[in-house]
Amino acid sequence: MRPRPFHLLAIVCTVCVVLVVLLAFHSVDPETAPHATYVERPVAETGATNRVASVYLNYRLYDSLLELLVFFVAVLGVRFYLGARERPDVPPLAESEVVRTSAALLFPLAVLLGVYLAALGQISPGGGFGAGVIAASGLLLTSIALGIDAIDRRIRRNAMERIERGALLVLLLLMLLPLPLGRPAFADLLPKGAPGAVLSGGSIPLYNVLIALKVVAGAWLILRSFVRHRGEI
Amino acid sequence: MIARTALLALLPIVAAIALTQRRRLTAIIGMGLFSFLLAVSYLLLHAPDVALTEATIGLGLITAIYVLAIRRTGRLTVVADEAPGLFVREGDRIVGLEHEILARFARHLGLDLSVQFVPHRDVADLVRSGEADVGAGGWVLGEEAGVFATRPHLDTALFTVGGTKEGTGEGVPRVRYEGYFADLDPKSLYTAETPVTLDLARFLAVQRSDVPDDSVTRHPQPRGYAFVVNGRRRDLHSALDAYIERLREDGELDRLAGRFLA
Repeated sequence: MRPRPFHLLAIVCTVCVVLVVLLAFHSVDPETAPHATYVERPVAETGATNRVASVYLNYRLYDSLLELLVFFVAVLGVRFYLGARERPDVPPLAESEVVRTSAALLFPLAVLLGVYLAALGQISPGGGFGAGVIAASGLLLTSIALGIDAIDRRIRRNAMERIERGALLVLLLLMLLPLPLGRPAFADLLPKGAPGAVLSGGSIPLYNVLIALKVVAGAWLILRSFVRHRGEI
Repeated sequence: MIARTALLALLPIVAAIALTQRRRLTAIIGMGLFSFLLAVSYLLLHAPDVALTEATIGLGLITAIYVLAIRRTGRLTVVADEAPGLFVREGDRIVGLEHEILARFARHLGLDLSVQFVPHRDVADLVRSGEADVGAGGWVLGEEAGVFATRPHLDTALFTVGGTKEGTGEGVPRVRYEGYFADLDPKSLYTAETPVTLDLARFLAVQRSDVPDDSVTRHPQPRGYAFVVNGRRRDLHSALDAYIERLREDGELDRLAGRFLA
């Protein structure tokens, strides 16, 4: 394949992103970054009553960023290797009325549980990753009952891909935003809020919702690729 | 504390049960159970976040993906009646031309061959209902509608034995032997009142015990042995057809026929 200007641009952009991320990591000083005493630190420091969330979405936000990147690469790999040969018609499983009815009942519950876990991850156990997987399981259950074509008609693949990439881009920008403002990267810019309130924990709820969006779109794209590739669910 | 210890003791047991299952579905369900117990252990260890992730991914998503993955893989189920040279029990082994073709075909697809011996009359029903993937055992092309027959892999003929000669005209034979071939008693065949139709392989086997020649009629139409496949399994049907065609082109089919039927 002949190199084209677009490829050059893509390479330059990738190098820039890598440099900025490296710079961001450099701006975090391990001596001043709190690490040993997360559990003893007062809730007031992050505003989140769920201390696990305060670790992985505040003190150690960059860990979560790398996890997201790993997941992004996994989705990219599956799409790259399986996306080329897609079968157009995938019949639904010949399932009984019981499966169809319970799928219809469980899907809204799965989405509701996902939203709940993502929105309240700063207060109670939960978070974006689990929320996204639960919502994607709901989509999978529905596709078993109604067929994957029924879901594709309602949710376009392009929309899912845009959500998947857009959420990662927004997350990356949010995490790097403190840099031009003269703060170390991954610093929390939003007000802490009252601990225990829905809008508390600074950026944690925002991150959780974005991660949930990214995970549900990514997990669904992977499952959809598997099903489309082999031509049956 | 007791609950935690009990769970920890249960974990390796459940893991061992899951690992030693031969059926894939049972093994996957065992793995799901393991994930569930692990999630409960995390919860008892005051790590609800980890427990939640273990339950959603380990118990939910992974189990679903594995179950979907094994739907296509697994076994090729064959129902057949014994037919000399084609599908024969030899001790605890099965030999014969048809068995060899199907065993190679299953290996070609990466499936385990699973054979069930049934009376000849049940073969078509079991294939039609989807309980078996392929029907075999001296199935003669044109015997019954409602199932997909592959192209014939071997020429054969039909013979009517015993009884009066009235029932042996042109067309489809009236009374095909329908039970287990192993139960067929050659001597009773010639003394029975109703004529019984046999295919070439079974007829030759019966003929070895002494036969009064005048009680045998050969059907004039040329026939062929074939496999039967469920009408909904078009992919399996065309794959088996193509595989037989390939064996024929390689000359392997003739070699196998020579080996089992000489």
